[in-house]
Amino acid sequence: MQVKLEKTFPIAAPAANAWRLLQDIKAVAECMPGAQITEQTDSTHFKGQVKMRVGPASATFNGELEVKSLDPNEKKMEMLGKGTDTSGASAATMNLIAQVRDSGDGRCELIGVSDVSVSGKMANFGGRMMIQVSDQILKQFGDNFATRVIAMGEGAAAEQAAAAVAQQPKELNALALIWHALLGFFKNLFGGGKSQGG
Amino acid sequence: MATTAEKMERDQKLEGIGCSRKRKEDPRFIQGKGNYVDDINLPGTLFSAVVRSPYAHARIKSINKAKALALPGVRAVLTADDLKPLKLHWMPTLAGDVQAVLADEKVCFQYQEVAVVIADNRYIAADGVDLVEVEYEPLPALVDPHKAMTADAPIIREDLIGKDEAGQGKRKHNNHIFTWEVGDKAGTDKVFSGAEVTVKQAMLNPRVHPCPLETCGCVASFDKVRGDLTVYITSQAPHIVRTVVSLLSGLPESKIRVISPDIGGGFGNKVGVYPGYVTAIVASIVLGRPVKWIESRIENLSTTAFARDYHMVGELAADKNGRIKALRVNVLADHGAFNSHAQPTKWPAGLFSICTGSYDIPTAYVKVDGVYTNKAPGGVAYRCSFRVTEAVHLIERMIDILAQKLNIDKAEIRLRNFIKPEQFPYKSALGWEYDSGNYPAALKKVMEAVDYAGLRKEQAEKRKRGELMGIGICTFTEIVGAGPSKACDVLGVGMFDSCEIRVHPTGSAIARMGTISTGQAHETTYAQIIATELGLPSEVIQVEEGDTDTAPYGLGTYGSRSTPVGGAATANAARKIRDKARKIAAHLLEVSPDDLDWEIDRFKVKGVPGQEKTMKEIAWAAYNNVPAGMEMGLEAVEYYDPPNFTYPFGAYLCVLDIDRYTGETKVRRFYALDDCGTRINPMIIEGQIHGGLTEAYAVAMGQLIAFDADGNHLSNSLMDYFVPTAVETPKWETDFTVTPSPHHPLGAKGVAESPHVGGIPCFTNAVNDAFSHLGVTQIEMPHTAYNVWKTIHELGVDKRA
Repeated sequence: MQVKLEKTFPIAAPAANAWRLLQDIKAVAECMPGAQITEQTDSTHFKGQVKMRVGPASATFNGELEVKSLDPNEKKMEMLGKGTDTSGASAATMNLIAQVRDSGDGRCELIGVSDVSVSGKMANFGGRMMIQVSDQILKQFGDNFATRVIAMGEGAAAEQAAAAVAQQPKELNALALIWHALLGFFKNLFGGGKSQGG
Repeated sequence: MATTAEKMERDQKLEGIGCSRKRKEDPRFIQGKGNYVDDINLPGTLFSAVVRSPYAHARIKSINKAKALALPGVRAVLTADDLKPLKLHWMPTLAGDVQAVLADEKVCFQYQEVAVVIADNRYIAADGVDLVEVEYEPLPALVDPHKAMTADAPIIREDLIGKDEAGQGKRKHNNHIFTWEVGDKAGTDKVFSGAEVTVKQAMLNPRVHPCPLETCGCVASFDKVRGDLTVYITSQAPHIVRTVVSLLSGLPESKIRVISPDIGGGFGNKVGVYPGYVTAIVASIVLGRPVKWIESRIENLSTTAFARDYHMVGELAADKNGRIKALRVNVLADHGAFNSHAQPTKWPAGLFSICTGSYDIPTAYVKVDGVYTNKAPGGVAYRCSFRVTEAVHLIERMIDILAQKLNIDKAEIRLRNFIKPEQFPYKSALGWEYDSGNYPAALKKVMEAVDYAGLRKEQAEKRKRGELMGIGICTFTEIVGAGPSKACDVLGVGMFDSCEIRVHPTGSAIARMGTISTGQAHETTYAQIIATELGLPSEVIQVEEGDTDTAPYGLGTYGSRSTPVGGAATANAARKIRDKARKIAAHLLEVSPDDLDWEIDRFKVKGVPGQEKTMKEIAWAAYNNVPAGMEMGLEAVEYYDPPNFTYPFGAYLCVLDIDRYTGETKVRRFYALDDCGTRINPMIIEGQIHGGLTEAYAVAMGQLIAFDADGNHLSNSLMDYFVPTAVETPKWETDFTVTPSPHHPLGAKGVAESPHVGGIPCFTNAVNDAFSHLGVTQIEMPHTAYNVWKTIHELGVDKRA
């Protein structure tokens, strides 16, 4: 089961800061809700974990991350993540190409293109929700990334952002994600959000 | 002289053949007092849970069971390496192949068994499964059988590399299992090349699953002191299980007792021997404790045997009047990762060669190629005799397509091609001898009952208005009751079946059979056969099945074989008893046995009113006053080897309306006429027809086992897999004719599978018929609203003016 997603996140901070953060793989990984880098095996290879909670049940995904390329001119990074839950019942891989684009006026945007493929139980049951859930995960990633970039700056906005970073949940709450995904699904179904103003 | 009224009363008291006697099983089932495998609770039982592969195709790099073993309550974790010293990591299949019990270095389908965790209770076993760490190296998955034999296809069965056969003849590719051919190829080709009209159509009987209400499971209990093994198991063939377990374990069959208790539906899913059973048995032998394994619904739908997955290309050659001259069929059969196809040993495509159907087709040729893919193994007969659903589907679609091409009415073309009543026994071009039938009478009766001409008129009017209405016809012939041992065996055991009857001194009786009910009410119907044959009330005849320690050896229940084979054995065993009873009666009445007439429940001296002995009296005498030189007692056993299959048939008609904007299909009418020869319990037959039609509706309208491109299973929960409830199920109208089988002692044929086999093509013919005026020749199942809508949308039928 494969899904390709493209998303653009506007960031109210300079492109240089965003690029600096993007090269810090540990920090980037931590922008993924529930994700954590546990070990760096060499300059481009990392080991990590994603903790996931669905109601009372929790699962840990162990994974490997490889930085495939870093292009300072294009401010572009490509990485490949592979993970399986500890029992081996589900597995996922994600190829992510992330690029920072300067929008001028001290602002920028992060463009993410990801190919996600899942197998095992997640593919069996998550299939019909996968686009929505992946979309939500990416959205949270984008929000967290933007917050961290802003926190690198100075002033009240940066202080507020830094506080938000500290409060970031340490687990991926799948039920909440599914709830948001469902909301998104129904909004799309009834054309809400987009057309109400018109 | 007994009056007719008296005789009728005596006859009715017996509740014998022809009586719509209520099911003896139902009081316990409807009160929740059934005794299923999961109801068996032996002291000290441990529970087995299975670690399964998340990948459809992967190499196993390592298995670490340390964490699972450390969990309190986990007693053992078994992997292929643990089974190797016992040579039990692979097991033989019914189709001459082998199947991994636990994955040996490689997994070949998603959810394949990799390890089992044995623990004190189910919860700990499930937690233990999560703690077994398996490292996989994913391999490319082969999902599309059409790509199985390409040069760059991933090789699924590395254990077979270099072997030019896998138990079913020559193979031509590493993913090829067999080629099976029957019929006259050259003769068929010749007819086609000179034919006035030919039609050709590819069609798919998609992969589906029988999905019985009760999943598979077992309780294995090995007694280390006595050295014997008892296995309670959800099996449609307990004696075969005993033989297989004996061959695998080395225990003598006399030390193995296999018991099939109440079974909550089988439909072919419970014919095979599964790794879950084998590992529970091994664990019990190793640990000396009872071990229970019960499948979850997910496991049932994704690992234990599927049905169909036949990719067929049919061709008909005919003259301009629609008279069929030849049939040619090429099939690609997707058997999954191991060939555990359910079949009599010598029949790699089962009885598929019944595909000439109810029609007098002079020449035919069939070729079936079986291939491996990265999917669960199986290929069972889901409520049908081996591959008969596929065969009937093919011919019933093809004759519709021929009618469409020639613009001949779909009922008319059938009447033109039917085997005529006077042609029976009829030898088909592919080698079967049809025992009896009257096809035109059946179809004409249905056409009259539904006002066929009126329906076609209505359809023509609706078509003018752009509305979609479909009329489906299916005039099928089944082949059931496997089977004559000269043609059919399972692992070398002939496909006979058996019955043993003991009449007690006071005139009640117990009967035991080699078959096993999975819900068909054998306890009721077998007793009716004995009641009529012996003149004892069916109420006092106890029927027992499923315990290999008490029942005579039999091949079990599947392929509608219980009545054709087990029922015949029952009648013959009863007749042996009646023959002995005649001698005892003659002795008691001091006449020659030839001077006696049998009348309902007694022997009477010819021409001497009042000189008679009832069976009840004879039963008493059998234990105290028998003729000189005769053994005491009144019992008999029969092992019945049928001389032929039985060929039940039917004519079905379906009327449905399709919403041209949503694709929603409403079945307006379904009329099913069945002919199963002599009818033993008409009420139970009607129930069987209702059940079979409902499962036919399920397959035609919604069931599908689907996979994504990586071989991930997309249909293994009831969220995705369609099981119709009373809400979706149409109303069924049933009817019958009676054409007895000439070779069956009672004239009876099988029936439970006919509605499934005949129902599926009837539904799909109806959906296709709704679009046939638009030039459509084949819309594939399942006909879900979305799939139907796609066809509608492509054709532009949903355009609003």
